[in-house]
Amino acid sequence: MRSQLDSTVTPRSGAPSLRDVQRAVARSLLDREAAAADCFIVADGLAPARRLSVYRNTFEASCANALRLAFPAVHRLVGADFFAVAASVFVHAEPPRNAWLDTYGASFPAFLATFPPAASLAYLPDVARLEWAVNRALHAADVAALDVSRLARLSRVEHPRVRFVAHPSVSLVDSACPIDAIWRAVLARDDAALAAIDPAAGCVWLLVGRSVAGVDVVRMEPRAWRFTAALLSAEPIGAALATVGAIGVPTLLAGLLAGGRFVDFDLIDAGARPLDRDRR
Amino acid sequence: MTRLRPDIGAPAGAARASVPAAAGIGLRFAHHQAVADTHPPVAWLEVHAENYFGGGTPLRYLDAIRRDYPMSLHGIGLSLGSTDEIDPMHLDNVCRLVDRVEPGLVSEHLSWSIVDGVYLADLLPLPMTEEALDVVCHHVEQAQERLGCRMLVENPSTYLRFAHSTIPEAEFIAAVAERTGCGILCDVNNLHVSAANHGYDASAYLAALPAAAIGEIHVAGHAVRRLENGSALRIDDHGSRVTPEVWTLYAEALARFGTVPTLVEWDTNVPPLDVLLDEAAKAQAWIERRSREPDDAIAA
Repeated sequence: MRSQLDSTVTPRSGAPSLRDVQRAVARSLLDREAAAADCFIVADGLAPARRLSVYRNTFEASCANALRLAFPAVHRLVGADFFAVAASVFVHAEPPRNAWLDTYGASFPAFLATFPPAASLAYLPDVARLEWAVNRALHAADVAALDVSRLARLSRVEHPRVRFVAHPSVSLVDSACPIDAIWRAVLARDDAALAAIDPAAGCVWLLVGRSVAGVDVVRMEPRAWRFTAALLSAEPIGAALATVGAIGVPTLLAGLLAGGRFVDFDLIDAGARPLDRDRR
Repeated sequence: MTRLRPDIGAPAGAARASVPAAAGIGLRFAHHQAVADTHPPVAWLEVHAENYFGGGTPLRYLDAIRRDYPMSLHGIGLSLGSTDEIDPMHLDNVCRLVDRVEPGLVSEHLSWSIVDGVYLADLLPLPMTEEALDVVCHHVEQAQERLGCRMLVENPSTYLRFAHSTIPEAEFIAAVAERTGCGILCDVNNLHVSAANHGYDASAYLAALPAAAIGEIHVAGHAVRRLENGSALRIDDHGSRVTPEVWTLYAEALARFGTVPTLVEWDTNVPPLDVLLDEAAKAQAWIERRSREPDDAIAA
């Protein structure tokens, strides 16, 4: 026992600032300059690098675990070893920007699209995009769905001016491959179903959102999907319709409203720019 | 005279279900359903704040379960020791949860995790310096003001020390409590791990903490990693049962601090609920033994 308390360390002149120490530790943990913090650390029978590696391991494992939770189908498609390598490269290149790790990994799909070892699985980045949309839906804030009776009180001439606010769980994903079928088969560990999927079977247009029962991944017709995309980007109904031509809007809107995909709306002025959101 | 029951459980100015001086367990997702269905006999529950920042299923379980148990909200991401300012979004999220869950205890760590806006996803050690003390106190005050309640700050488990540290850790954390009015969460597993890793005396550390500020105790399991030079490094992984050494230190902490809300923490390889309840029963037995003892039996 060296002392009663851990007071064996003595003050030194010219001590580093806390910010310098924290930046050095960050450079070390991020593998940008592995030895950056060694000079600040008491060796005491174990090299500073070994001591720091305990923290680096936790950092990497925590981030990789967050990615594994957000991208379970990608994890199974590529296998644990490949995923660990991809996650490690990604974590060091794009570490989390805040402590809510459920929101970490938004750029992992784009990373996979440029990660050469993943190039042989062409649909992998799109499966990742779908999983990110699902993850977003899982962790989105609770917001009550739009009270449809508010819409019923509008006159018909006001309908084109309706601009919706989407539920935070809602997003749209499209792909040249049937990624929804792939995603379901992989998560169900249904190898037969996965083998039966033709990746070249054609494009899918998907809506992802949360309902009481869980996260929905729903296929849409391409024009309905584009119309919905316009609504989600805060276009009023009239302008959204103009981009896709006549489609079965009442049925489509009824479905979106029944699914709780919108939480609010306002009416834009007839001459207002679509994104002019400063009035209700 | 050491106080038997420091009256520091309830956050200031709130009508909340205060956490009793009894054993609780950490509530993990794997046990949501079982706890909601079976209402296991445990005095209180602690949750990690960051697990409930979103909506959906986890929050629904929490809303239901908190009706049956006093709750403690334990944060890991506020990064009290960062030279970065506290992330306002993170503090807002904690604040929203405090308002919703009305926890009897709110705690965070004596550590840092964020620099230049990068989250390093671990509870990193601070140099024990006057500068770090100022930073921590500033952030504790800021958090307490925003949350509208007193916080507890937990002693860390550490694997390294900084050469320019000037303040013993126990004195540092006592100073944070003294300056900010916060309480102390004494994690006796962390203390055991740090004391063993750095070769200092855990009992002396306990003796240096202000008993009246202790608002909660954590016990947990840890791993022992054998190093190539033959020495051992204790790793605080919360992945096993509490070790006999930590129970002994816990008894010593109870002797010094009086009976205090005590949490069994288990975060990796989370076992069946019964195992957690069994560990909590052991802590409860220590608490009851302590509450039967007269003051003059307290260790000096």
